[in-house]
Amino acid sequence: MSGHSHTAPPSDPELRIKALESLLVEKKLINPDAIDAIIETYETKIGPRNGARVVARAWVDPEYKARLLADGTKAIAELGFTGVQGEDMVVVENTDEVHNVVVCTLCSCYPWPTLGLPPVWYKAAPYRARVVSDPRGVLLEFGTRLSDDVEVRVWDSNAELRYLVLPQRPEGTEGWSEDRLAALVSRDSMIGTAVVPAQGAAS
Amino acid sequence: MPAVAKDFVPVLVATGGSTRVHKAVAPRFRAGDHVLVRTMTPEHHTRLPRYARGRRGIVEQDHGVFVFPDTSAHGQGEKPQHVYSVRFTARELWGPQASERDTLRLDLWDDYLDLVV
Repeated sequence: MSGHSHTAPPSDPELRIKALESLLVEKKLINPDAIDAIIETYETKIGPRNGARVVARAWVDPEYKARLLADGTKAIAELGFTGVQGEDMVVVENTDEVHNVVVCTLCSCYPWPTLGLPPVWYKAAPYRARVVSDPRGVLLEFGTRLSDDVEVRVWDSNAELRYLVLPQRPEGTEGWSEDRLAALVSRDSMIGTAVVPAQGAAS
Repeated sequence: MPAVAKDFVPVLVATGGSTRVHKAVAPRFRAGDHVLVRTMTPEHHTRLPRYARGRRGIVEQDHGVFVFPDTSAHGQGEKPQHVYSVRFTARELWGPQASERDTLRLDLWDDYLDLVV
Protein backbone atom coordinates (compact mmCIF):
# COMPACT_ATOMS: atom_id res chain seq x y z
CA MET A 1 0.00 0.00 0.00
CA SER A 2 1.27 3.45 -0.77
CA GLY A 3 0.86 6.21 1.78
CA HIS A 4 -1.35 8.26 -0.57
CA SER A 5 -4.83 7.32 0.49
CA HIS A 6 -6.13 10.88 0.87
CA THR A 7 -8.23 12.66 -1.76
CA ALA A 8 -6.40 15.24 -3.87
CA PRO A 9 -7.61 18.83 -3.30
CA PRO A 10 -9.71 20.40 -6.08
CA SER A 11 -7.86 22.33 -8.80
CA ASP A 12 -7.44 26.10 -8.55
CA PRO A 13 -10.12 26.93 -11.14
CA GLU A 14 -12.53 24.57 -9.37
CA LEU A 15 -11.90 26.30 -6.04
CA ARG A 16 -12.30 29.72 -7.64
CA ILE A 17 -15.64 28.70 -9.16
CA LYS A 18 -16.89 27.30 -5.85
CA ALA A 19 -15.86 30.52 -4.08
CA LEU A 20 -17.58 32.66 -6.71
CA GLU A 21 -20.72 30.57 -6.63
CA SER A 22 -21.06 30.64 -2.85
CA LEU A 23 -20.52 34.41 -2.82
CA LEU A 24 -23.17 34.95 -5.51
CA VAL A 25 -25.60 32.72 -3.61
CA GLU A 26 -24.92 34.45 -0.28
CA LYS A 27 -25.52 37.84 -1.87
CA LYS A 28 -28.71 36.44 -3.41
CA LEU A 29 -27.55 37.32 -6.92
CA ILE A 30 -28.07 33.78 -8.15
CA ASN A 31 -30.34 30.97 -7.17
CA PRO A 32 -28.65 27.54 -6.99
CA ASP A 33 -31.84 25.77 -8.19
CA ALA A 34 -31.86 27.97 -11.29
CA ILE A 35 -28.18 27.22 -11.97
CA ASP A 36 -28.89 23.48 -11.71
CA ALA A 37 -31.83 23.86 -14.09
CA ILE A 38 -29.65 25.69 -16.63
CA ILE A 39 -26.92 23.04 -16.44
CA GLU A 40 -29.47 20.24 -16.78
CA THR A 41 -31.03 21.94 -19.80
CA TYR A 42 -27.74 22.07 -21.69
CA GLU A 43 -26.63 18.62 -20.56
CA THR A 44 -29.79 16.77 -21.49
CA LYS A 45 -32.08 18.88 -23.67
CA ILE A 46 -30.15 21.24 -25.91
CA GLY A 47 -27.19 20.05 -27.95
CA PRO A 48 -25.83 19.41 -31.45
CA ARG A 49 -28.70 17.01 -32.29
CA ASN A 50 -30.78 20.17 -32.75
CA GLY A 51 -28.37 21.53 -35.35
CA ALA A 52 -28.29 18.13 -37.05
CA ARG A 53 -32.08 18.32 -37.49
CA VAL A 54 -31.70 21.70 -39.17
CA VAL A 55 -29.01 20.37 -41.52
CA ALA A 56 -30.95 17.23 -42.42
CA ARG A 57 -34.07 19.27 -43.18
CA ALA A 58 -32.04 21.56 -45.45
CA TRP A 59 -30.63 18.52 -47.26
CA VAL A 60 -34.04 17.07 -48.08
CA ASP A 61 -36.08 20.24 -48.56
CA PRO A 62 -34.67 22.81 -51.03
CA GLU A 63 -37.27 25.41 -50.05
CA TYR A 64 -36.33 25.08 -46.38
CA LYS A 65 -32.68 25.39 -47.34
CA ALA A 66 -33.39 28.62 -49.24
CA ARG A 67 -35.20 30.05 -46.20
CA LEU A 68 -32.39 28.91 -43.91
CA LEU A 69 -29.71 30.68 -45.93
CA ALA A 70 -31.85 33.81 -46.33
CA ASP A 71 -32.85 34.15 -42.64
CA GLY A 72 -31.19 31.60 -40.36
CA THR A 73 -32.90 32.74 -37.16
CA LYS A 74 -36.39 32.43 -38.60
CA ALA A 75 -35.85 29.10 -40.39
CA ILE A 76 -34.21 27.51 -37.32
CA ALA A 77 -37.15 28.72 -35.21
CA GLU A 78 -39.48 26.80 -37.56
CA LEU A 79 -38.01 23.63 -36.01
CA GLY A 80 -38.47 25.03 -32.51
CA PHE A 81 -34.88 26.02 -31.77
CA THR A 82 -34.65 29.52 -30.33
CA GLY A 83 -33.17 31.33 -27.39
CA VAL A 84 -29.99 32.44 -25.65
CA GLN A 85 -27.02 32.76 -28.02
CA GLY A 86 -29.21 32.00 -31.02
CA GLU A 87 -31.07 35.29 -31.22
CA ASP A 88 -29.39 36.33 -34.48
CA MET A 89 -28.29 33.34 -36.56
CA VAL A 90 -26.47 33.15 -39.87
CA VAL A 91 -26.15 29.83 -41.72
CA VAL A 92 -23.24 29.47 -44.13
CA GLU A 93 -23.19 26.77 -46.78
CA ASN A 94 -20.26 24.56 -47.71
CA THR A 95 -19.97 23.94 -51.45
CA ASP A 96 -17.42 22.45 -53.83
CA GLU A 97 -15.80 25.90 -53.92
CA VAL A 98 -16.06 27.13 -50.31
CA HIS A 99 -15.44 25.51 -46.92
CA ASN A 100 -16.61 27.52 -43.92
CA VAL A 101 -15.19 27.32 -40.40
CA VAL A 102 -16.34 29.25 -37.32
CA VAL A 103 -14.37 30.65 -34.39
CA CYS A 104 -14.73 33.36 -31.77
CA THR A 105 -11.26 34.81 -31.32
CA LEU A 106 -12.16 37.15 -28.44
CA CYS A 107 -14.11 34.68 -26.28
CA SER A 108 -16.24 31.62 -27.00
CA CYS A 109 -19.41 32.82 -28.77
CA TYR A 110 -21.30 29.79 -30.05
CA PRO A 111 -24.86 29.04 -31.24
CA TRP A 112 -26.30 27.38 -28.12
CA PRO A 113 -29.86 26.51 -29.32
CA THR A 114 -28.50 24.48 -32.26
CA LEU A 115 -25.16 23.19 -30.92
CA GLY A 116 -25.46 23.31 -27.12
CA LEU A 117 -22.46 24.48 -25.11
CA PRO A 118 -19.10 24.73 -26.90
CA PRO A 119 -16.47 22.00 -26.64
CA VAL A 120 -13.38 22.77 -24.54
CA TRP A 121 -11.09 23.10 -27.57
CA TYR A 122 -13.40 25.73 -29.11
CA LYS A 123 -12.91 27.90 -26.01
CA ALA A 124 -9.17 27.25 -25.77
CA ALA A 125 -6.57 29.80 -26.90
CA PRO A 126 -4.73 27.48 -29.35
CA TYR A 127 -7.81 26.98 -31.56
CA ARG A 128 -8.94 30.61 -31.31
CA ALA A 129 -5.50 32.01 -32.07
CA ARG A 130 -4.51 29.63 -34.86
CA VAL A 131 -7.61 28.85 -36.88
CA VAL A 132 -7.77 32.43 -38.18
CA SER A 133 -4.19 32.56 -39.46
CA ASP A 134 -3.66 28.89 -40.37
CA PRO A 135 -7.10 27.34 -40.93
CA ARG A 136 -5.80 24.61 -43.23
CA GLY A 137 -3.20 23.52 -40.69
CA VAL A 138 -5.75 23.43 -37.86
CA LEU A 139 -8.29 21.53 -39.98
CA LEU A 140 -5.62 18.98 -40.84
CA GLU A 141 -5.15 18.36 -37.10
CA PHE A 142 -8.89 17.57 -36.99
CA GLY A 143 -8.30 15.09 -39.83
CA THR A 144 -9.86 17.38 -42.45
CA ARG A 145 -7.72 17.88 -45.54
CA LEU A 146 -8.99 20.46 -48.02
CA SER A 147 -8.01 20.79 -51.65
CA ASP A 148 -6.05 23.89 -52.65
CA ASP A 149 -8.90 24.65 -55.06
CA VAL A 150 -11.31 25.23 -52.18
CA GLU A 151 -11.55 28.64 -50.53
CA VAL A 152 -11.38 28.35 -46.76
CA ARG A 153 -13.66 31.01 -45.31
CA VAL A 154 -13.16 31.71 -41.62
CA TRP A 155 -16.02 33.37 -39.71
CA ASP A 156 -14.87 35.18 -36.57
CA SER A 157 -18.07 35.62 -34.55
CA ASN A 158 -17.05 38.23 -31.96
CA ALA A 159 -20.07 40.44 -32.59
CA GLU A 160 -23.75 39.56 -32.11
CA LEU A 161 -24.30 37.13 -34.98
CA ARG A 162 -23.92 33.39 -34.37
CA TYR A 163 -22.91 31.05 -37.16
CA LEU A 164 -23.89 27.52 -38.12
CA VAL A 165 -22.16 25.73 -40.98
CA LEU A 166 -24.37 23.80 -43.38
CA PRO A 167 -22.10 20.91 -44.39
CA GLN A 168 -22.30 19.29 -47.83
CA ARG A 169 -24.58 16.31 -48.06
CA PRO A 170 -22.30 13.29 -48.47
CA GLU A 171 -22.34 10.93 -51.41
CA GLY A 172 -24.08 7.61 -50.91
CA THR A 173 -27.08 9.07 -49.06
CA GLU A 174 -29.53 9.36 -51.95
CA GLY A 175 -33.05 8.59 -50.82
CA TRP A 176 -32.16 8.53 -47.11
CA SER A 177 -34.77 9.67 -44.61
CA GLU A 178 -34.33 12.91 -42.67
CA ASP A 179 -33.76 10.97 -39.42
CA ARG A 180 -31.07 8.79 -40.95
CA LEU A 181 -29.35 11.85 -42.41
CA ALA A 182 -29.51 13.74 -39.11
CA ALA A 183 -27.68 10.88 -37.38
CA LEU A 184 -24.71 11.45 -39.72
CA VAL A 185 -24.25 15.13 -38.91
CA SER A 186 -21.51 15.70 -36.32
CA ARG A 187 -21.12 18.74 -34.12
CA ASP A 188 -17.72 19.47 -35.67
CA SER A 189 -19.18 19.45 -39.19
CA MET A 190 -21.47 22.30 -38.11
CA ILE A 191 -18.50 24.27 -36.69
CA GLY A 192 -16.57 23.52 -39.86
CA THR A 193 -13.62 21.59 -38.45
CA ALA A 194 -14.95 18.39 -40.02
CA VAL A 195 -16.92 17.30 -43.08
CA VAL A 196 -19.64 14.66 -43.21
CA PRO A 197 -17.95 11.62 -44.76
CA ALA A 198 -19.27 9.79 -47.83
CA GLN A 199 -21.43 6.75 -47.04
CA GLY A 200 -21.76 3.31 -48.54
CA ALA A 201 -19.52 0.34 -49.19
CA ALA A 202 -15.83 1.15 -49.40
CA SER A 203 -14.61 0.62 -52.91
CA MET B 1 -31.91 42.83 -9.25
CA PRO B 2 -33.61 39.65 -8.04
CA ALA B 3 -31.98 36.31 -8.83
CA VAL B 4 -33.51 34.26 -11.64
CA ALA B 5 -35.95 31.71 -10.22
CA LYS B 6 -35.81 28.08 -11.31
CA ASP B 7 -39.24 28.29 -12.97
CA PHE B 8 -38.07 31.12 -15.17
CA VAL B 9 -35.10 29.19 -16.61
CA PRO B 10 -37.00 27.50 -19.48
CA VAL B 11 -38.43 30.88 -20.54
CA LEU B 12 -35.04 32.55 -20.33
CA VAL B 13 -33.32 29.76 -22.28
CA ALA B 14 -36.00 29.74 -24.99
CA THR B 15 -36.27 33.48 -25.57
CA GLY B 16 -32.79 34.88 -25.00
CA GLY B 17 -32.16 38.57 -25.47
CA SER B 18 -31.02 40.00 -28.76
CA THR B 19 -28.85 43.12 -28.73
CA ARG B 20 -30.45 44.14 -32.02
CA VAL B 21 -31.94 47.62 -31.83
CA HIS B 22 -35.12 48.35 -33.76
CA LYS B 23 -34.37 51.96 -34.45
CA ALA B 24 -33.73 53.76 -37.69
CA VAL B 25 -30.03 54.60 -37.68
CA ALA B 26 -28.35 55.65 -40.91
CA PRO B 27 -25.68 53.21 -42.06
CA ARG B 28 -22.26 54.71 -42.78
CA PHE B 29 -21.43 51.99 -45.33
CA ARG B 30 -23.08 49.69 -47.81
CA ALA B 31 -22.23 46.40 -49.46
CA GLY B 32 -19.28 46.74 -51.81
CA ASP B 33 -17.63 49.61 -49.91
CA HIS B 34 -13.88 49.31 -49.35
CA VAL B 35 -13.10 50.01 -45.72
CA LEU B 36 -10.08 50.48 -43.50
CA VAL B 37 -10.36 49.18 -39.95
CA ARG B 38 -9.37 51.86 -37.46
CA THR B 39 -6.18 51.40 -35.53
CA MET B 40 -6.93 51.84 -31.86
CA THR B 41 -5.64 50.46 -28.59
CA PRO B 42 -8.44 51.17 -26.16
CA GLU B 43 -8.32 50.47 -22.44
CA HIS B 44 -12.02 49.65 -22.52
CA HIS B 45 -13.97 46.62 -23.72
CA THR B 46 -14.06 46.23 -27.48
CA ARG B 47 -15.07 43.58 -30.03
CA LEU B 48 -12.46 44.73 -32.50
CA PRO B 49 -9.77 42.06 -32.63
CA ARG B 50 -6.20 43.33 -32.80
CA TYR B 51 -5.34 41.35 -35.94
CA ALA B 52 -7.87 43.34 -38.00
CA ARG B 53 -6.76 46.83 -36.91
CA GLY B 54 -5.25 48.81 -39.77
CA ARG B 55 -6.38 46.22 -42.36
CA ARG B 56 -8.46 46.75 -45.48
CA GLY B 57 -11.60 44.81 -46.31
CA ILE B 58 -14.82 44.99 -48.28
CA VAL B 59 -18.29 45.33 -46.74
CA GLU B 60 -20.25 42.28 -47.80
CA GLN B 61 -23.48 42.57 -45.85
CA ASP B 62 -25.25 44.94 -43.48
CA HIS B 63 -26.60 42.97 -40.52
CA GLY B 64 -28.66 45.86 -39.16
CA VAL B 65 -28.46 47.95 -36.00
CA PHE B 66 -27.01 46.63 -32.73
CA VAL B 67 -25.98 47.96 -29.33
CA PHE B 68 -22.36 49.16 -29.37
CA PRO B 69 -20.42 47.04 -26.85
CA ASP B 70 -17.57 49.52 -26.39
CA THR B 71 -19.95 51.90 -24.61
CA SER B 72 -22.69 49.60 -23.29
CA ALA B 73 -20.19 47.35 -21.48
CA HIS B 74 -19.27 50.36 -19.34
CA GLY B 75 -22.79 51.64 -18.72
CA GLN B 76 -22.20 54.51 -21.14
CA GLY B 77 -25.25 53.96 -23.31
CA GLU B 78 -26.27 51.78 -26.23
CA LYS B 79 -24.94 54.03 -29.01
CA PRO B 80 -26.81 51.85 -31.55
CA GLN B 81 -25.15 51.49 -34.95
CA HIS B 82 -24.90 49.16 -37.93
CA VAL B 83 -22.86 45.97 -37.88
CA TYR B 84 -21.42 44.71 -41.16
CA SER B 85 -19.91 41.48 -42.33
CA VAL B 86 -16.54 42.56 -43.71
CA ARG B 87 -14.50 40.34 -46.00
CA PHE B 88 -10.71 40.25 -45.71
CA THR B 89 -8.28 38.24 -47.78
CA ALA B 90 -6.04 35.94 -45.75
CA ARG B 91 -3.04 37.71 -47.31
CA GLU B 92 -4.20 41.15 -46.17
CA LEU B 93 -4.34 39.85 -42.60
CA TRP B 94 -1.45 37.41 -42.44
CA GLY B 95 0.94 38.28 -45.25
CA PRO B 96 2.30 36.44 -48.26
CA GLN B 97 2.60 33.01 -46.66
CA ALA B 98 -1.20 32.78 -46.38
CA SER B 99 -3.23 31.06 -49.09
CA GLU B 100 -4.13 33.29 -52.00
CA ARG B 101 -7.60 31.76 -52.03
CA ASP B 102 -8.59 31.95 -48.37
CA THR B 103 -10.65 34.70 -46.76
CA LEU B 104 -12.04 35.74 -43.38
CA ARG B 105 -15.34 37.37 -42.41
CA LEU B 106 -15.57 39.56 -39.35
CA ASP B 107 -18.60 41.48 -38.06
CA LEU B 108 -17.68 45.09 -37.35
CA TRP B 109 -19.55 48.11 -35.99
CA ASP B 110 -19.68 51.46 -37.79
CA ASP B 111 -17.32 53.06 -35.26
CA TYR B 112 -14.55 50.58 -36.13
CA LEU B 113 -14.41 51.53 -39.81
CA ASP B 114 -13.44 54.29 -42.24
CA LEU B 115 -14.23 54.45 -45.94
CA VAL B 116 -11.35 53.96 -48.35
CA VAL B 117 -11.77 56.29 -51.30
